[in-house]
Amino acid sequence: MTAAANTLPARTIRIPAPTVLAAVVVVLFVIAAIFPSLLAPYDAFHVDLGETLRPPSFAHPFGTDQSGRDVLSRVVSGAGASLLIGLGATAVAAALAVVLGVAAGLGGRLLGGGVNRLIETLFAFPVLVLALLLITVFGPGVSTLVIAVGVANAPGYARIVRGQVLSVRRSEYVEAAHATGHSPARVLLRHILPNALRPLVVAGSLGIGQAIVWASGLAFLGLGVAPPSAEWGALLNDGRTYVTVAWWVEVLPGAVIVLVALALTALGRAMQRRFGKESG
Amino acid sequence: MRRRIAAASSLAVLLASGLTACAAPRQTESGTTVHGGRVVGGKVVDGVLEYGHEQEPSCLIGGWVQQVYLMRQFLDSLVTVTADGAVKPWLATSWSQSPDGRSWTFHLKPGVRFTDGTKLDAAAVAYNFDSLLTGAGANSTAQAYLQEYYAGSRAIDATTFRLDLRKPYQPLLPVLAQGYFGIQSPAAMRRGASANCVHPVGSGAWIVRQWNRGQNVVFTRNDDYNSAPSTASHQGPAYQRSMVWKFLKDPTLRYGSLETGASDVIYDVPTVDWAAAKRSYAVQRYITPGRAVSLTLNATRAPFSDERLRRAFAYSLDRKAGVDSAFHGAYPYNGDGALSKSTPGYDPRFAGTYSYQPRLAARLLDQAGWTARDGEGYRVRDGSRLTAQVVYPAGSIVTPETVTLLQDLQSQAKEIGWDVQLVPATQSAYFAGEYSTRTSYDAMTGYWTSPTAGVMYITWRQDLANRPNSANIAFYNSRRLEGMIAVGNAAADPAQRQVAYSSAQRYISDHALAIGLYAQTTSLASAPDTKGVWIEQSQGEPVLSDAYFTGGQ
Repeated sequence: MTAAANTLPARTIRIPAPTVLAAVVVVLFVIAAIFPSLLAPYDAFHVDLGETLRPPSFAHPFGTDQSGRDVLSRVVSGAGASLLIGLGATAVAAALAVVLGVAAGLGGRLLGGGVNRLIETLFAFPVLVLALLLITVFGPGVSTLVIAVGVANAPGYARIVRGQVLSVRRSEYVEAAHATGHSPARVLLRHILPNALRPLVVAGSLGIGQAIVWASGLAFLGLGVAPPSAEWGALLNDGRTYVTVAWWVEVLPGAVIVLVALALTALGRAMQRRFGKESG
Repeated sequence: MRRRIAAASSLAVLLASGLTACAAPRQTESGTTVHGGRVVGGKVVDGVLEYGHEQEPSCLIGGWVQQVYLMRQFLDSLVTVTADGAVKPWLATSWSQSPDGRSWTFHLKPGVRFTDGTKLDAAAVAYNFDSLLTGAGANSTAQAYLQEYYAGSRAIDATTFRLDLRKPYQPLLPVLAQGYFGIQSPAAMRRGASANCVHPVGSGAWIVRQWNRGQNVVFTRNDDYNSAPSTASHQGPAYQRSMVWKFLKDPTLRYGSLETGASDVIYDVPTVDWAAAKRSYAVQRYITPGRAVSLTLNATRAPFSDERLRRAFAYSLDRKAGVDSAFHGAYPYNGDGALSKSTPGYDPRFAGTYSYQPRLAARLLDQAGWTARDGEGYRVRDGSRLTAQVVYPAGSIVTPETVTLLQDLQSQAKEIGWDVQLVPATQSAYFAGEYSTRTSYDAMTGYWTSPTAGVMYITWRQDLANRPNSANIAFYNSRRLEGMIAVGNAAADPAQRQVAYSSAQRYISDHALAIGLYAQTTSLASAPDTKGVWIEQSQGEPVLSDAYFTGGQ
């Protein structure tokens, strides 16, 4: 057994330390999102008017907020909503991007050109402005945040998909599939999409962190979820009033948002490098 | 050190929220002082006053108190009031009431002109009342007060104006002191609503020069001003040649602008900074009369169509502890839902009717059949959860501290078994009327600024098909209650008036129609070298025409 093992060529996968660290942060984030009670020391919604705006301490590592609630517990509690918004918004953006990108890439001069102009027009809107417009129309809330950030991010992804579709459709294996009599739908589903979507997966993994930051920004402006939700942007919105006298209410949730967004981005980059190597 | 940290924090928040336009550095002009003024008799005058306000309305005139704060700067009114409620001359030097109480005759100050050069005479005043109450210049709040009473206006001669009412209305004079009834130039009003909205014209101490939307309104001094109210510190033009009214909605940013010197005066000091502001700045606080910030309960649908549940809800909430905590002791608790404790005619006997009594609340709920609890601890009956949707106008009517208070109350209510759902109404949705129907909420958060207990006629007059009243946000129709308030409004005898107003307050309290939270409060903080800023007493409008500087040379 040992002799056989020793005779095999050693194959080690070297993962850079920052990537490991990012993975740890993301794992903690996911645990917080799915099992908040494992990490939250207190009930995130328990109001204690005798303990308001207490600075960080052993009992309350992130301090308490204006209602005496434990800030760490609220940050943990808000992870679920933030993850949901990040994943949901990215999924919405990706789904829209596939439809728009494929239509723009394969739709011919009339349809493809029209969809392409639509993508370019939407792309010209700043993400925040487009999201604000949608929230104004549909009202604030988690679902609106998901849709608003998703729709606002879709044009960027759609351009990626369109570029890939245009590239793949002229490849030899697609032409061969056409030549062997495959239906256009089969060619699209079996040959074009699988090859065109790989960059979208990478972009999406990068986009989750970005979507969380966008959603937090909108919630910070009061356009997010209703209180007493501990969604991260809402925490920032609540904390800004007290930033001059109780920095921890604002700064520590903000630091967590930055940390998670950085970790997700670092993992996305790692995936990008790995996919890049494989496709190269 | 604290100042530096606060300034840095403010900058961080400012960058984060993208509100950079609001905090542009003060424009100074070359002069002998940092305020761009000159020293006359120990006062720095002819400079630029920087005022940091909160809300930016969609029009510079209108029926919202945030519009009146602006209107007070460029309009004069017939009368003004003092802190003890006494009515004092302004454009009207004297007045009289007919024996039947239906006609009021005002004698106007001669020689007053609007800043467009036209005369402010009795005909102009009559035009204003007709326009505000029945015409193209309609003002929703002016109409709420007087439309039902208004019979007509007449210019008896150039300086004598008569206001005719259909029935006596004794609170008329303090009501006219509010900026809603500020006198505008008829020539300017005839330009139409859109022009008048952006460039309104009055006879006041300031002239609207430029409204930079999203940033500020720049006022210049009315150099011919000769109609200051009798309560002003000085007569004649404003001390400063210009005043920049900045819209700094974010409270931290606003307070930071005072700390960094970008503003000389700010409105609505964040309560968390109130104690520090008292140490470092000249602060003023005005407890606004009218209806306090309250939770008005929708009496037309469950759960609050049941009076027992309205009482139970009131007993469930430790509102005083919540207010003291959320506002850091800076705002007074106001237990009455009918009136603010600073309102003339307020009866303090009902302030403690619904003190925090969780056991009584639980007993009332039990009696109403809400005995079982679900897995989350909320009471249920027949498979339905005991739910109350509380709507609050976020970012327009209520402050961040109020949102904290509502969350604290939500938590208290949960202990008793209520599932209170907070619903933030965006400013656009709220003003568009999205939450004005009987099915749109269980409780609404709001207030009414008013110098009279007669405001109850606005907030509780019946909402009928042929006589709608959108201010009756409880949707509670009672001829008896309306009648009590109407008697108070008509009674010439102050004692009789008080009896009627007290009866109405008792009725509202007995039926638990509205739950008081705290008194709406106007606060101002001025830099140490800025003097003479004061708050008028009908509803807390800031007055900046007497402001001067003492330092900065």
